[in-house]
Amino acid sequence: MQRGFCHGLLGLLVAVAVHLALSFPVAHAQGTDALDGAIIQSAEVSGLAVDQLSPDLRDDIDALVGAPLHRERVDVLATRIEAEHPEFVVAVRPIALPDGESRVIFLVARISDDRDLVSNINARYTVESVEISGVPDTDVSRALREDLQGLVGERLDPDEAERLDDRLEAELPGRDVRRRIARGSRSGQIHVVFEVGEARGAAWIDFAPSRSMWVYHSELAWSGTLDLPMGTRNHRLTVGLVVDDKEELIEEYTGYRVRLESRKVVTERVGLSLEFADLRPSWQRSTLSALGTNPGIGEIYQNRRTVEPAVTFAFSPQLRVRGGASVTELESLFQPQDLQIAGTVVASIGFDQTWNRELGSTHDVHASYEVRTSTTALDSDLDYTRQLGEARYQFQSGRNLVMARVSFGRIGGAAPLFERFSLGNASTLRGWSKFDVAPAGGNRMVYQSLEYRHRQLAFFFDAGSVWDQGTDAQVRLSTGVGFHSDNFFLTVGLPLNADGVDAQFMTGVSW
Amino acid sequence: VIGTMARNTYRYCRVGFVVILLVGSNPARGVGQSVTVDVVGDAVRIRPAGFRFIEGTALERLRDGRSLQVDFELAVLADPDGPVVSERRQSFNLSYDLWEERFSVSLIGTSSRAISHLVSADAEAWCLDQLMLPVAALGRLGRDEPFWIRLAYRFHDTEPAPDPDDDGPFTLRSLIDMLSRRAPDDEPGDSLDAGPFHLPN
Repeated sequence: MQRGFCHGLLGLLVAVAVHLALSFPVAHAQGTDALDGAIIQSAEVSGLAVDQLSPDLRDDIDALVGAPLHRERVDVLATRIEAEHPEFVVAVRPIALPDGESRVIFLVARISDDRDLVSNINARYTVESVEISGVPDTDVSRALREDLQGLVGERLDPDEAERLDDRLEAELPGRDVRRRIARGSRSGQIHVVFEVGEARGAAWIDFAPSRSMWVYHSELAWSGTLDLPMGTRNHRLTVGLVVDDKEELIEEYTGYRVRLESRKVVTERVGLSLEFADLRPSWQRSTLSALGTNPGIGEIYQNRRTVEPAVTFAFSPQLRVRGGASVTELESLFQPQDLQIAGTVVASIGFDQTWNRELGSTHDVHASYEVRTSTTALDSDLDYTRQLGEARYQFQSGRNLVMARVSFGRIGGAAPLFERFSLGNASTLRGWSKFDVAPAGGNRMVYQSLEYRHRQLAFFFDAGSVWDQGTDAQVRLSTGVGFHSDNFFLTVGLPLNADGVDAQFMTGVSW
Repeated sequence: VIGTMARNTYRYCRVGFVVILLVGSNPARGVGQSVTVDVVGDAVRIRPAGFRFIEGTALERLRDGRSLQVDFELAVLADPDGPVVSERRQSFNLSYDLWEERFSVSLIGTSSRAISHLVSADAEAWCLDQLMLPVAALGRLGRDEPFWIRLAYRFHDTEPAPDPDDDGPFTLRSLIDMLSRRAPDDEPGDSLDAGPFHLPN
């Protein structure tokens, strides 16, 4: 135990000595260091037993004695010691002696004994210069600029550099500071750059998710939507092209959308959006037939133009509320001069959270609720209220993924057809066709889905119902398997309680 | 009946064509990696051929003189999806010596081991060597029982990375990111699963 204590004490003393040697500022060292050409009287290794070096290296160190000092030659020997003992770093001290002679000491220290070196191996080097980039020097206080320049001539201190980093961020709110180190102009010296840029981190308000997809459903055939976003970090213009989209609604529609979004208006808590859509629907025969037998559901139209401005306020990056208006002009199919207005106020609340508590596993939760209610203040010809709630949970561990989703919808009053709910496409009630489930949609909807994925292979179970108030709700079940790779998917869905067994194939890409 | 069969045949051919078209445009992923398992003394060591983690964004950050923490988890599983028989977690600190152009690695935790002057492959191998599991920990598996391994790692950076969404020059990558809304690669990491293995006699 006593011997262990002595070894520990010796190690500590050597570490302190090397730290002092490594820390010795260049400016101070110039006074005591021997100059090149001084005859070397002795060469020693401190902190490591000489017999732990290879015979060749020992001979080369011994050969220094009597020779004139050449710093490069001595540095090469230090590098060779480090190469033979990679758990150590070596500092060279050439000490000037009287009569133009010198003494060379190789100070060897274990990396793990020096906290700074453990943190960053470049802490062994001397800072040659410090630079702030990305902002004019005048944006930084004189005191901080002086403290930054105080790093020059000293060994790099990662903790001190971190503190200065924090002070710089505190003086420049809304900016991020990234520290970068590069080689200096002389061997063993480094150049430290504090790069100032735009602040990052979780955005408080996200842009609307992309609707881009190209999907094939064996009953519904092709649907295509392409969103082309362009813009900057906080402002975006999205042009969307829609070709025969049968996925989303009970109408099949083609047209375009333009969406302007800003997710930082004065503050990152406030966002604005404005969307304009001009869409031309067409109708499936089964939908027309269902509307024919129940004309009270709604009137078909040939053109649909929507303007939807909204304001979003974020309480936190996870929780936000949205309020706005939606005005849709519907052009009657049979009497084009007749226009119906569906004018609603829209309010919604959304919550998103990701937990990353364990290595290799994540939990994602999303929940949202939206209500749209018509108002005469927006000249609405239709009187209705639509509510939609949705919750999703996803757990990923390694190659395994479990996804659960529930949603419900309720419409009161006479809503236009584009507001009615439908289930049975490539993402809901897979295995069914929406035109078999409810060809004219419904004003009530419940849906749940459970999916397990292992690597690219997926197994799912879906259940849901769409119906009209006053009619029986028939719950449809389906199950199936899928293959997912990046944005591509291929799914085979099987209805479980249908009259016949008719599998549905769905495939496509979404991004 | 013939009409229905013909219609179904046409429908399935159409689906098949669509699948071929889409799969053909989507390159295959997940090329298998060979992993060797051997016993060194009383510990089990794994060596995944071609398993690289000092690359890409992490390598760029290290070459900028920054240090990175990388967390590893090695689990031995009784079957491909668990249960976990034994696991080992270890974190390392990595930095890149700008003048020597070599990597330095240190263990984070109770043990104070550090090594430098390593090329990237040697630094990676050194980290994996520290993840060795004692043979005794696999005892309840039985000597002849097969087992699977899962190796996962994740980088943590103590400093913020440049914002990929930041207004900057228009590049092909920014265009792809913008169109695909890919999440920023903040904390790169990966995992591999391999097996079955048997303990060498």
